[in-house]
Amino acid sequence: MNGGNSMFTRFGVTFQKGDIIFCEYEPGDNFYLIQSGRVQILKIMGDIEKTIDILQPGEIFGEMAILEEAPRSATAVALDQVKALEFNRENFEILMQGNPQIALKLLKLFTKRIYDQKRRFMILTLDDIEARVADVFLMLAEKTSSDMEGIDKREFATTIDDIAHWAGMSPAKCREVLNHFLVQRRVEIFPDKIVVKNINDFARFVSSKRKYQE
Amino acid sequence: MSPKAIQYRANSIIFFKGDISDKVYILNSGKVSLNYIDIETGQEVHDLIKTGEFFGVKSAFGRYPREETAVVLQDSAVIAFSVPEFEQLISKNTRIIMKMLKVFSNQLRRIHNQVQNLLYTEEQVNPETGLFKIGEYYLTNKRYHQALYAYRRYLVYYPSGVHSSEATKKIETAEEYLQKYGQGKGPAGVSQKSTAFVEKPQKTKELSNVAQQYYNAVSLISQQKYENAYSEFKKIIDQGNDEEYLAKSRYEMGRCLFFMKKYEDCINTFSGLIQKYPTHPDLKDALFFVGKCYQSLGDQVKAEGFYNKIMTMISEDEPLYRKVKKALRSVKENV
Repeated sequence: MNGGNSMFTRFGVTFQKGDIIFCEYEPGDNFYLIQSGRVQILKIMGDIEKTIDILQPGEIFGEMAILEEAPRSATAVALDQVKALEFNRENFEILMQGNPQIALKLLKLFTKRIYDQKRRFMILTLDDIEARVADVFLMLAEKTSSDMEGIDKREFATTIDDIAHWAGMSPAKCREVLNHFLVQRRVEIFPDKIVVKNINDFARFVSSKRKYQE
Repeated sequence: MSPKAIQYRANSIIFFKGDISDKVYILNSGKVSLNYIDIETGQEVHDLIKTGEFFGVKSAFGRYPREETAVVLQDSAVIAFSVPEFEQLISKNTRIIMKMLKVFSNQLRRIHNQVQNLLYTEEQVNPETGLFKIGEYYLTNKRYHQALYAYRRYLVYYPSGVHSSEATKKIETAEEYLQKYGQGKGPAGVSQKSTAFVEKPQKTKELSNVAQQYYNAVSLISQQKYENAYSEFKKIIDQGNDEEYLAKSRYEMGRCLFFMKKYEDCINTFSGLIQKYPTHPDLKDALFFVGKCYQSLGDQVKAEGFYNKIMTMISEDEPLYRKVKKALRSVKENV
């Protein structure tokens, strides 16, 4: 990173391998730019640990801390010795002023977060719970590459808990909906993936429900 | 390729909603409006672009479909940048980036709150218990360093929390095992629970018993066992030894009655609660339930009265706001 050294003396932090950088549910004040080492982002669900992402040098994480004291939505663990710049609401403006590249990176990350949140909002405003679950699959399909277009059958490496999270409902309720889809032969459910037989059928279903609401 | 100056006639379209493109625009002269449907209200919004302002930035950056249609209202001159050109331009000008960061972070804050409001009805893990449970997870898995981190953070944020005495014990256990056996070895700390609890002082034990009872009952609600939950909350109230949980339990009893569709009983319970605890933290929610009950009983006028009352007490970014607005709309439709 440009000017990394002088910046590091002021804002740098070092974590040892295995250290928790922050924990899910902790109030968040800081966000980080990785300078060296890798960071694992994970969630603990009951007795299992689920890796959400592994981040490399140059990447930013914990950026939602810029918003308010919302609890962290995941845990961040140092996979190697990690050197990072630590930002908070107070110092980030000063930091950004000397570092347009970092600011630009943050700007792009915000763009993505805004889009994701808007998409989630669209899902959650559906009154019909089946449509909500179907719309989660549409969202996941939108995230895959565009050369999948025209292919009806789609596989998603996801779990019922994940779908429930996005659809804003309990896993039990989500399972019910998916079982109904299963009976209708619209999906197949496996331990590690869910197959949607015809994504366009889901698209029509969701858009008809959305129209009906308006 | 370099940035291109383009002239548009009045009534022409620069881009349509749904288009995917990597072009970012700046308005040099003329008048351009971004038209879109507000996702929350469903109303059509027309945002006028000011001269010198960028537009189309987010969708170009993320290669997302355009969210607005850009309509030219008067003959206009714009400059179109590709994303790399745009990045080059603004990276020399931190002031512009900072301005955009502020705009974007406000938008993010807004949409984030809107999403949280919608999630409100679903049972969410309370952060206090969530954090404690992470400590439990790591202790069970013999990852003492991580367990210590979680328990210690717990005590920083909740020094007198529901699990604080337990967390203190667990810290001792984790430290002991770490020293004796080392990371990844030794007995799983959580299974030692029964022995670790014996020495607990009587008073804290009683307190946490009430808390335990309360949280058990809350989890019955999330399992939709409303009648069981109701009688558990009633027990807590009958014991009557912890004011905090008394007030909380009374509120939860009202909720159970609502889910059991016993609307009249529900109204009575909440009315009693509101009188007894006029500063109850869930006061607005209680009023909302009362409104809902009247609505279910067919008394739209009373329901509307309660909803309007909440509107005088609430600010826009509170979770309940959107629900009350929606309820008010549905009342008006039925009158």
